[in-house]
Amino acid sequence: MDDNVLLKIDGIVKTYPGVQALKGITTSINKGEVRALVGENGAGKSTLIKCIMGVETPTEGKIEINCDGKWESPKNAIEAKSFGMQANYQNVNIAKNLSVAENYFLGCLPRTKLGTVDWNQMYESSQKIIDKFQLTVDPRATIESLPIALQAMINISKISINEKVRLVIFDEPTALLENEKVVTLFNYIKELKANGVSVIYISHRLEEIMEICDTVTIMKDGAYVETKNVTEVNKDYLISKMVGRDVADIYNIKHQEPGEELLRVEKLCGNSFVDVSFNLRKGEILGFFGLVGSGRSEVMRAIFGVDKVKGGSVYLRGKKVSFKSPKDAMLSGFGFLTEDRRTDGLALSQSVELNVNIYSYDMISKASIINLNKERSRAEDYREKIGIKTPSIKQCVNNLSGGNQQKVVISKLLCRNPEILIFDEPTVGVDVGAKDEIFKIIENLIAQGKSVIIISSYLPEAMGMADRLVVMAEGHVAGILDSEQLKKVNEEDVLRIASAVYAENNPIVEAV
Amino acid sequence: MASNTKNLAEQRRSANMKTLLMRTEISMVLIIGVLFFAAAFGTKNFLTAYNLTNILKQSAIIGVIAVAETYIIITGGIDISCGAIVGMSTLMVASCQSSGIGIFPSMIVAMVVAIICGVFNAVLVHEFNVTAFVATLGTQTILRGLIKVISNGGTVSGLHKSFTSFASGSTLFVPNLAIIWLGIAVICFLILRYVVFGRNLFVLGSGKEVAKLNGISIRKTTYMAYAFAGLLYGIAGIMLAARINSAVPTAGEGYETNAIAASVLGGASLAGGSGSIMGTVLGTLLIILIDNVGTQFGIDTFIMQVITGCVIVIAIIVDQLKKRSSR
Repeated sequence: MDDNVLLKIDGIVKTYPGVQALKGITTSINKGEVRALVGENGAGKSTLIKCIMGVETPTEGKIEINCDGKWESPKNAIEAKSFGMQANYQNVNIAKNLSVAENYFLGCLPRTKLGTVDWNQMYESSQKIIDKFQLTVDPRATIESLPIALQAMINISKISINEKVRLVIFDEPTALLENEKVVTLFNYIKELKANGVSVIYISHRLEEIMEICDTVTIMKDGAYVETKNVTEVNKDYLISKMVGRDVADIYNIKHQEPGEELLRVEKLCGNSFVDVSFNLRKGEILGFFGLVGSGRSEVMRAIFGVDKVKGGSVYLRGKKVSFKSPKDAMLSGFGFLTEDRRTDGLALSQSVELNVNIYSYDMISKASIINLNKERSRAEDYREKIGIKTPSIKQCVNNLSGGNQQKVVISKLLCRNPEILIFDEPTVGVDVGAKDEIFKIIENLIAQGKSVIIISSYLPEAMGMADRLVVMAEGHVAGILDSEQLKKVNEEDVLRIASAVYAENNPIVEAV
Repeated sequence: MASNTKNLAEQRRSANMKTLLMRTEISMVLIIGVLFFAAAFGTKNFLTAYNLTNILKQSAIIGVIAVAETYIIITGGIDISCGAIVGMSTLMVASCQSSGIGIFPSMIVAMVVAIICGVFNAVLVHEFNVTAFVATLGTQTILRGLIKVISNGGTVSGLHKSFTSFASGSTLFVPNLAIIWLGIAVICFLILRYVVFGRNLFVLGSGKEVAKLNGISIRKTTYMAYAFAGLLYGIAGIMLAARINSAVPTAGEGYETNAIAASVLGGASLAGGSGSIMGTVLGTLLIILIDNVGTQFGIDTFIMQVITGCVIVIAIIVDQLKKRSSR
């Protein structure tokens, strides 16, 4: 019986100064089992993973892994690796300045007989992995030069280098992936399983868990709730156990009757997109969906004045505008929540207070002297209103969970009271509870007559939230679905439009 | 929910306690206090008006430079041309005065030249995207060369009497130079706290992309930071000229080490995004004090240099340990 067990997690407690992150987790995982780990952000999933991998030392309890009958406890990450444990962490942790191939072989570079690095062999073996995962990338390319989705995929495919692997942990692997790559990932997980490798799979996307996992462990507020076979549970059950309340349909928000046209984009061309046209009306939620590389974020970056516009025009309330810098866009009533809040949304090393105000210091200062009272009260107000969970507004935002960081970003935008809000992947790395809250905020915004653009690579979200949905493929608008059409189509139809190869004379796919 | 609020309140209290204990400033005040009393009771010459004034005078010039250096470090940069800019400013103010130009015009010339040097750094850093270290290294070398060319390698003297006597004078027992230093420190502290430019420095130090996407002009902030630092170096150069009553070609050499050390001791991180004026002021005092106390105890000056170096290294290690434990 015990032989079949690969990993024993025995009463793990982890205490940080002031916080008990884990309150005694006990469970075990069998060989070849794919175990899902679910819970809201802050439930302690990432901490548990770090304890398993020896990155953090548990305050109490023991982790044991079955190394061919011998039970071992990894004391650090290097030992964990030698026991055949591999983790794919949430924030892509690869060396950005090195090439794809070097990243694959980081720490175990192949050598020639002379002891120098065997580049030929490295590139060859790397190409094999690249082919296996159906990626289109040169093994010589530096990570930095690649889009973030591809970086994430390289981070995942890197695991296949370790041949003696016994346990693989995926922490939110699909957060940045497009659908077809999710299929590739799932095939890889199936292959691992067939080889008797155990997998721990963390994801906020419960559909995925239903599809790929055998069992699911639910955690809440650092405590173990239960472990079930996925066949015994459904989505609603999981959500109610994770959140401790029922979330009926988080996309079910109150929509508004769209008013007059606010923004019109005509034949906009720029970095990796061509002839993009669409309009946005007052009180409307316009969804943007496209596979990674379809240019959806780039369009927004160009409109917002981050990237250069190469052609076409943007009209705001019928007046032509062209923003030279994000500041121009900001002053004209645009708010932009960027895709990667950690690199360009937040000043990570700074306080909640500074980050809430970062976008609008000009509004609370006279002759550029800041009114400190207003600065503090705004931060406190939004902390209350939006529900940012932080011990103090002086807390460094880096210490907040993903959902709370996102709430800080939203507060920062709302401080300016913008007319048009662009949300690029607002729910990446955000738990169900916080997602719900973010959608409620959006509901509120449109009720106030604001207009919202939501970009999402998560189709249920894009379809569920949008009044109209712009589908992009390969830098073109492949179709715009209105609310009537949205009711009729299913996810596959939209995916088909999004994967369509652009044909010159068929720019818009008519009603499916 | 109630327990949740209570929990948060508790966390907040412990966080406040911790930040208080961990405050770099507080530990520095303690160290300075210990050194002070050790020297006061252990040596007979330390606690004399002459020596204490001397400490303040020495601190004043390094102090002004260190405050400017802290601004640059907060943006995520580093400026090793500060000593050379100080040297250039010293030379300018001395040359002007020795050729008969009045005190105020000569000071203006020195400050303008120093600002131009700062702007030159900003051009390299921003327009050509050169790493701050390399850019300012280049500027430093150019300026050191220029100083020798202009001064012909010689000392420039003949400064106005009233100019130099201001530097050696005191107001209410506090040396005038120290008053200038503290005045500048207060202004710089207020800018960081109350002025948008000050906030922007921290944002820039947290990441250029963040600054850009939040409507902060990277160009403007970089130029302002380096130009402002240049101005302060210029003032430090004028103070130095007044204090030593001349301009020597080596004026300001090695000041960059002390300025950077004072900033780092005071809690600035070379990764950018953090730093405090209070800390830098105390850091400056500490460095000068260590040197002075060592001399009072009769420790060899060469050994003193080793000790100062060790103190800096220890401070950096302690800072890292604190960061680790607070995570």
